[in-house]
Amino acid sequence: MDRREGLARDITLEGVAKIFGTQGRLVEAVAPTDLVLKAGTTTALVGPSGCGKSTLLRLIAGLDLPTEGRITIGAETPAEMRGRAGLAVAFQDPALLPWRTVAGNVALGRSLARMPRDAAAVAELIRLVGLEGFEDRRPAELSGGMRQRAAIARALAGLPELLLLDEPFGAVDELTRDRLNAELPPLWEARGATAVLVTHSISEAVRLSDRILVMTPRPARIAADITVTLPRGEARDPASEAFRKTCAQVLAALREHQLPDSIAAQ
Amino acid sequence: MMFRTPTRRLVLGGGLATAAATLWHPRAALAQQAATLQLSWLHSVQFGGSYIALQNGYWRDAGLDVSLLQGGPNAPVEPPVVAGTALIGISAADYTAAAVTQGAPFRIIGVAMQKNPFAIASLPGNPVNAPADLVGKRIGMALANMPVLEALCAINGVDVAGIEVVPTQYDAAPLVQGQVDCLLCWATDLPVAMEIQGVESVTMLLADHGYAVHSQTYIATEDSLANRRAELVALMAGEARGWAEYQADPAAAAQLTVEMFPDAGLDLPTQLLQAERQLPLMFSDLTAAEGFGWFTDATVAANVETLALLGKPVTPDLWDRSILEEVHG
Amino acid sequence: MPAAPLFGRRLTRGLWVLLILLCWEGLARLSASAFVIAAPSQILHYSATHADLLWRAFLTTLWAAARGFFWGNLAGVTLALVAVLLPRSERLLSTLALLVFCLPLVATGPILRVLYGPGDGPQVTLAALAVYYTTFLPVLVGLRAVPQGWRDLVRSYGRGGLTLLREVRLPAALPYAVAGLQIAAPAAFLGAMVGEFTGAERGLGVLTVRAMRALDLPATWSIAVIAAGASVAAFSTIGALGRRLDLAPPEVLLAAPVARARNRWEGPAHAALATLAVLMLWQGTMDAFGLPPFFAKRPGDVWDYLVTDAAARARLWDALAETLSMAVPGYLCGLAAGAGLAMLLVLAPRLSAATLPLAIALRSVPIVATAPLIVWALGRGGAGTVTVVAMMIFFPTLVACRHGLARTPRAVLDVFAVYAASPLRRLLGAQLAAMLPAFFASARMAIPAAILAVTTAEWLATGRGIGALMATVASTSDYNMLWSAITLIGLAAVLAHALVFALERWVLARTNPEQLIR
Repeated sequence: MDRREGLARDITLEGVAKIFGTQGRLVEAVAPTDLVLKAGTTTALVGPSGCGKSTLLRLIAGLDLPTEGRITIGAETPAEMRGRAGLAVAFQDPALLPWRTVAGNVALGRSLARMPRDAAAVAELIRLVGLEGFEDRRPAELSGGMRQRAAIARALAGLPELLLLDEPFGAVDELTRDRLNAELPPLWEARGATAVLVTHSISEAVRLSDRILVMTPRPARIAADITVTLPRGEARDPASEAFRKTCAQVLAALREHQLPDSIAAQ
Repeated sequence: MMFRTPTRRLVLGGGLATAAATLWHPRAALAQQAATLQLSWLHSVQFGGSYIALQNGYWRDAGLDVSLLQGGPNAPVEPPVVAGTALIGISAADYTAAAVTQGAPFRIIGVAMQKNPFAIASLPGNPVNAPADLVGKRIGMALANMPVLEALCAINGVDVAGIEVVPTQYDAAPLVQGQVDCLLCWATDLPVAMEIQGVESVTMLLADHGYAVHSQTYIATEDSLANRRAELVALMAGEARGWAEYQADPAAAAQLTVEMFPDAGLDLPTQLLQAERQLPLMFSDLTAAEGFGWFTDATVAANVETLALLGKPVTPDLWDRSILEEVHG
Repeated sequence: MPAAPLFGRRLTRGLWVLLILLCWEGLARLSASAFVIAAPSQILHYSATHADLLWRAFLTTLWAAARGFFWGNLAGVTLALVAVLLPRSERLLSTLALLVFCLPLVATGPILRVLYGPGDGPQVTLAALAVYYTTFLPVLVGLRAVPQGWRDLVRSYGRGGLTLLREVRLPAALPYAVAGLQIAAPAAFLGAMVGEFTGAERGLGVLTVRAMRALDLPATWSIAVIAAGASVAAFSTIGALGRRLDLAPPEVLLAAPVARARNRWEGPAHAALATLAVLMLWQGTMDAFGLPPFFAKRPGDVWDYLVTDAAARARLWDALAETLSMAVPGYLCGLAAGAGLAMLLVLAPRLSAATLPLAIALRSVPIVATAPLIVWALGRGGAGTVTVVAMMIFFPTLVACRHGLARTPRAVLDVFAVYAASPLRRLLGAQLAAMLPAFFASARMAIPAAILAVTTAEWLATGRGIGALMATVASTSDYNMLWSAITLIGLAAVLAHALVFALERWVLARTNPEQLIR
């Protein structure tokens, strides 16, 4: 049905490391990492603030280049994949264009992905992220959470094979967040797209992903690799015993690596 | 030194205009030779004779299509003449001498102002009637004119150190406001402005105290003198006829000036007064005998002497009377 | 009932205007014998009796200014686009743009007249030259001031520079362009008026020259009022147009300077490249148009002249020293006054309604008209010239600093509000730092403005310094000296720019380090 259905491929990281250098002071952001993310799965990266999760996400998107190692998505490099608009990023800072309306910003996601105009598809996305009635507002008139939702809608608008979400619901209120957690994932899961999600919230990670990677602080290193065996979608019940157990497992992994309680408690 | 205006639009525009003129007035457009006279300042009765020549068709009859290009505070005369945009420019002997020192191939081919119009203007309560009166006074002038004051003092044996020079812009305000006791200016403009504003003033003409520098001189390049003689003669002949009429009726010239340039902001009383004031500077026994614009070896010698005092040494070769001789001959 | 207070406010404002007019009238009547101020009644009378003449002159000047405005802004925007699309050319282009902007009118006027012949070519060109720089800078900043997130967004779709330009840079630059156009409007009018000094047949500039010589105060003041009115109208119209387009005012009018040199040879290498480019452009343009060497001196001529003639060097040096002794205090006063008033308006916002229109009017009255008036009023000493320079700089600085102050993050202001900090405390603690980048940017932009102001005042009013020297040597055909003076002024401008730039980096590195990251 969809033009990109079934195109997703595995993401392979081979010895990928990133070192930032500022005037002789070198900071190792990501330690050498080997990793394979299966096509069509959703992976969550959790870890303390500033641990390098976002850097890893930017490396996968090809927005930054690794200092060492290489990243491939199927047979392509990230740059090649971007070249045919195969991926989309929902940034932590929503990066909405202030002179465009909500509808205009969402439509930009389609036009940047070289897809024809489709007002109905845009309207449907806006409805899904709960911004109905705000189509003609400018970003400056929206709350932080609403802006993030608009940015997610924009990322989804281009029907990407690979969706990279950087703390997408950070500023969204608890109730809305709960609803989005339920309604959005099917949008990409149904198409067989791959997703990588950075989040601070353990329950959100467990709710959305098939696999959770717990990262250590600088340099980022994979401390624990937890597979979520719960059923997908609506059937995954946060109130269930199995859900709580998985959460406890992730929390334990975070604690083990001496993380401040304030972060772990989330 | 041949130089033509390079912008294509202008050339094109000129071409179109000529074509249009040929269509509408086939005869008039025939033999009309274009020539530009670059004036030294904004339009005013100062150039009244030229306006008469234009109005009465003296140049047109001689086959010359003359345009009068006005000057201004930022429009020196010499560049367009050197560049060839203007055939003749209206300058003054001291400016011409300076330009020649800088390598401009100029000749003076006629002298409109036999007496230099520079004057010292003062108020009747504290007048300057003779150069000696300058001692102990504050004089307002452009610093650029310092050589003029020094030459006047040298000619008249006055100690220039005894005069306090106040640099001013060129208008009468500093004198009226009492910031200075006298002004170095042209007899035909600032004193006229003051009189029109109801301020009485005393003027002392430098020319009456030995300062001999030809003013409102006609200059042309050596190249034009060699190759465009006929046009030079025709242009100067028109000038001579125009100025002769001006002398006969300066009031009519003032009237014509105001009518001809409605956008120049001229007012008739000022123009009438100025027309009157410049008569004695332009017409003398010499011009009565020989014709408008004339100069002799004696007047040239006096100029060479004053110019040397101004620090602008020249030889009498700077003056070339051959065009005037053809005009008046 | 909102109507009653509104009416009351209008009434109060009307009364104020009336009071000011009455004071003006009285002052003018009292000082009539000094020939400094024309009374409002005289201005009205002159304008009424010469309405036809003034209207025709106004239309002539406006038409030339409008075309110069168009071409100048087109050039400014194009230059900015080139600088952004070819980032390596940015520094060279900026230097060249600054130098061309510093070319004194005394030098360009006669050359343009010879190039164009009769007509309004020089007026249009000088108007264009007067505006392109003040458009180039803000538009460049607007095109460049793109947050990293927007770039990443476009990059994440694999789209390139053109998409970034179309979707992000151009819309982002639009408010900056409007701000630049606002500044450009009065400048275009000024340029067209000064252009008329090169022998134009008609226009307000021509009338100014004649009115000043004729001691015709009502005429001089009428022209000044008309020019100011036109400029204020253009300024507000463009501002209103910007609001109509629903453009948020730019966050910073002028932003952060370029990143520092990567190694120690980069600075000198750029300087050498810029010098070479200037020399080639100078020689090349003159040769291409076949300008006679009598008045169009080439770099070689100037070099020979300055090397061989010690007296000329001394004369030039003295003139420059005299000019700097006026320009530097004026420059500093203008900056201080602009920043000071901006801060005062933050402390006492009620004042802004009264002061802003006045400030715009002050800036809009062409310097050609104001310079002699100010010098008349303040005398021929230093005070007059210093004031002229300060006035030219004051207004853009005020506008820029207000933009900067308005940029203080809301959250920071809230913190001060929570602790009920006094406005002064808030200003010093939070807003001042937000103002600094805008302040320094306007300090850089004020350099050519200061040079223009001081040389114009010297040329038209005081008869001292390098401005008067240039006018004098132009009239006595000493074009070697003229071009030497031009070279020196250009050099001074570039050096002053570099100095302010270094100071800016030094201060911002301590107060606003985020501004220095590209």
